[in-house]
Amino acid sequence: MTDKPIPAEGEITRLVNHHFPGGFYTVAHWENFLLTECTGAALLPDGMVHPVALFHLPITGAGTSIAEMFALGQAESDLSIMIESYDWEIFLPLREEIRYGISGGIISAQRCKNDQGKFYDRIQFCFEVHTPEEVLAARTTITWHYTRNTL
Amino acid sequence: MSYAVGDSIPEWVMASVSAARMCTMAAILRDPNPIHWDRDAVDSLTLGLGKRTINQGPLGLSYMINMLHAWAGPDCIRRIVMRFPQVVLDGECVTARGEITAVREAQGIALADCKIWLEHADRGILLEGTAIVALPV
Repeated sequence: MTDKPIPAEGEITRLVNHHFPGGFYTVAHWENFLLTECTGAALLPDGMVHPVALFHLPITGAGTSIAEMFALGQAESDLSIMIESYDWEIFLPLREEIRYGISGGIISAQRCKNDQGKFYDRIQFCFEVHTPEEVLAARTTITWHYTRNTL
Repeated sequence: MSYAVGDSIPEWVMASVSAARMCTMAAILRDPNPIHWDRDAVDSLTLGLGKRTINQGPLGLSYMINMLHAWAGPDCIRRIVMRFPQVVLDGECVTARGEITAVREAQGIALADCKIWLEHADRGILLEGTAIVALPV
């Protein structure tokens, strides 16, 4: 099998400090209901949003998408992304029908080599979620590996 | 109630990871990755997983969130950091478990540092990480 070409290292490292447009996100009741059901839990009290929303809420609210994040790192395919870690800091519980302000961008991007000698690119995205009163409610850091000729 | 280093957190069981829930989650997340909704796509990988969809990372993480909520309340989580050494597959029975590694106080709030993980009876630890949890008074 012929290896696919991999992006130049500079094309990856220069992604650091890339900022997404930013924006707002409001979790509707129906969305929280479905999300919570997917986790196997009962709805949380008082309109609290299940923290599982801390994956897509910042991404969508910041004006980007999973597809764009894949594309920024020049993913070989949707199947080639591996998760290193998710780090979710929660300063205030999120609630339904609150219009949160979101900002985010890329804080780290580097070329690495795995134990089998295969290259991959490790890219870290960080997002912040603020209340309408501009209080920091949550911060999330996503670390993905963009595998190259591995999967 | 008292809390001490080494205490176990009551486990939380997902009896059967659901492919249908992965589809719902993919739609809400607008996640284009077919490994979450196309069994043939997973079968085509070199991972030897067969025709089973792979659970979204946040969904596996959510089982540990549910465990922590059941233990310490719905607004208890201050931080959760998760790594994903193995995938979670549709149809699997997985159990969220945890243990207190430190008890401390910060800004007048009692906190527990916890080691948490998601376990499969045959494949061992699938997800592992840490959590900081505000303890009920």
